[in-house]
Amino acid sequence: MSAKLRLDYFDGRSARAQTAEIWLADGQLHLAALDHKSYPVAQVRWPERQRHGQRQVQLPDGGVLSSRDAAAWDDWAHASGLRDSLTVRWMQSWRHVGSALLLLIALLAAGWRWGVPLAADGALALMPASVEQQVGEQALSTFDRHLLKPSGLNSARQQALRQRFEQAALAALPATGAQPAYRLHFRDAGKALGANAFALPGGDIVLTDALVELLADTPDTIIGVLAHELGHVQHRHGMRITLQAGIVGTVAGVIVGDFSAALAGAPALLSQASYSRDFERQADEYARRLLRGAGIPPRVMTTFFERIEHRHKGGSALPIAISSHPANEERVRFFKE
Amino acid sequence: MNEHLDAATPARAAVRYLRIEFTGSGSEYFRIWIVNLLLSLVTLGLYLPFAKARRLSYFYANTRVDGQALSFHGDPWRMFRGFVLLVLLMGAYGVAGRFSPTAGFIAFLLLCGLWPALWRSSLRFRLGNSSWRGLRFSFHGDVASAYKAMLPLYVPSMILLLPQLLLDGTPENGLWQGIFAGTGFLAMLLLFPWALAQIKRYQHGGYAYAAQRGSLDVPTRRFYALGLKGLLMSLLPAFVFGVLAAVLIPALRGTGVGPGAGMAVLGLGIALLYLLWFVLAGSYFGARLQNLVWNGTHSAELRFDSGLSFRALAWLTLKNWLLTAVTLSLYRPFAAVNTARLRLEAVSVRVDGDIDAWLAQHSANEQDASGDAAGDFFGIDMGL
Repeated sequence: MSAKLRLDYFDGRSARAQTAEIWLADGQLHLAALDHKSYPVAQVRWPERQRHGQRQVQLPDGGVLSSRDAAAWDDWAHASGLRDSLTVRWMQSWRHVGSALLLLIALLAAGWRWGVPLAADGALALMPASVEQQVGEQALSTFDRHLLKPSGLNSARQQALRQRFEQAALAALPATGAQPAYRLHFRDAGKALGANAFALPGGDIVLTDALVELLADTPDTIIGVLAHELGHVQHRHGMRITLQAGIVGTVAGVIVGDFSAALAGAPALLSQASYSRDFERQADEYARRLLRGAGIPPRVMTTFFERIEHRHKGGSALPIAISSHPANEERVRFFKE
Repeated sequence: MNEHLDAATPARAAVRYLRIEFTGSGSEYFRIWIVNLLLSLVTLGLYLPFAKARRLSYFYANTRVDGQALSFHGDPWRMFRGFVLLVLLMGAYGVAGRFSPTAGFIAFLLLCGLWPALWRSSLRFRLGNSSWRGLRFSFHGDVASAYKAMLPLYVPSMILLLPQLLLDGTPENGLWQGIFAGTGFLAMLLLFPWALAQIKRYQHGGYAYAAQRGSLDVPTRRFYALGLKGLLMSLLPAFVFGVLAAVLIPALRGTGVGPGAGMAVLGLGIALLYLLWFVLAGSYFGARLQNLVWNGTHSAELRFDSGLSFRALAWLTLKNWLLTAVTLSLYRPFAAVNTARLRLEAVSVRVDGDIDAWLAQHSANEQDASGDAAGDFFGIDMGL
């Protein structure tokens, strides 16, 4: 039999406080108030040890024992052989909390670097191609409604570019190894998107009239730009960025989401920029392989960077040349190699 | 016999004011929070309901009303079932919209159809698993009233969503889309205070403790007054921002600052605008709503008095936001404890009766056997 402890007892039927004495014996919690009761220790919900707050014991019949003197409770619980759970012991020690914090930071960093891309890999492997295609079509029709107009290029010119790219891609097949299905769309993007090209999930590639005009004298450069977009399609970057930013956003939401949506949204936004820099490098690598395989010197891409830069001195707002892309000089060097 | 007499002619107890104290500590909650977070991440989120049960237990054990703390009795495994259900539901809803507008609309309708019922069961779960002095609270609102309370919000949402379903995005339909969006937004603005009044009346009218049944006596027009003032308060930061922009932009132009620096200033301005809005509008609405609702809540022998100061809440929110941002969210648990303290200690309870004589309305045994109050199969706890 353990020592006895005196505390407040509420029987679950009346709000009146009674004074009770409790002790442990034979695996039972014994309680002596107006009458004597006992409960199997395993059915009692014991309080977790904390520095603050009342110690409250929840009894299986709805009664509650409440100890205002936390120190007396802790002494009694210790003397009676009640053990804290592992988690509680962990939370009680600053040293363990410190290691939990370090572990948490390491986990978040590793998750950012490897976990999130790996999870996206898994999700992409499970995702049927038709889903991705539907998402891409949905996005294209939204763009068509708000930002894009039908192309002003005549069909002969469109056909010529299509054929040229198809032949280059075919010739490069041994070098690129794989080639995803894609659909090339010509659109007039007006001033909003200007000279631009982008790939949507599922393989829709959009090329704007302004870009075709900008590079009219070097069609091989257009092939290079399209090869870069095909690289995005090959690596399924469109769907991947949605998934990865979504995962980061969810984790940030768990940490501060209930407090401020803006604070929770910031990491998702940062992750989008950071991950897409990696994606641009991957797409550039694919483009370089394709160009070489097709017998086009990758150097042709430098023309693109020069002209785009010339056109948008200072800040620009182009998906193929915004801050989410590695610095242009770095990319120029990459294609010159 | 004696007992019967006592109940019929209760001894007149003096009116008492019960103080609410919050004894939680930021550094202690920090340790709980870190361990909870770590376990939640390691288990890919599966630990979240267990973390929530621990958090609620900590906050309850540190909320003392008249010297006796509240207790949280929720079973984390039951909360786990509810959590999985909600995740599946929200996941399906999030995915459906990406397929097609029609699928998204159907998912939205389904969610609208389910939401009030889920909301009610979460209220029942939370109240049924809370106790003070050994007596459980309970929630008595019925399903039909839950739907009625939410109805005013559904009408404008439908107006906002319909064009996505009915109209394709051709330019000829642009005008119609504008009309739908405009009416939907206006209807939302006009109906929101009414909806809020209905929702709060449903919540507070359903609360019960011993023989005390809550009711909220606040006329709807006071919710409209609050909504109007809240709207003005949220326009204030935009006004300040506009004035600053009008003064600063010409001034900067004169000094020949490049467009890059101009963009940086603009970005900073927008961040400040958001912060100002979050602090001013959020705190104003939060503080005044708490006071309005709790000062209007009473039962036969209970009244509440809430005097939460807007200025105090705004300062605290500003401090919390900045420190949470600067510490990359490590200040979050301290912020949570400080806010709970400010909000809870602003309230006191006035009792016109003898609490010692209060009895549970049905015995705790019966409750467990019938599994009524706390016995929803899915322990849905949406954190209201």
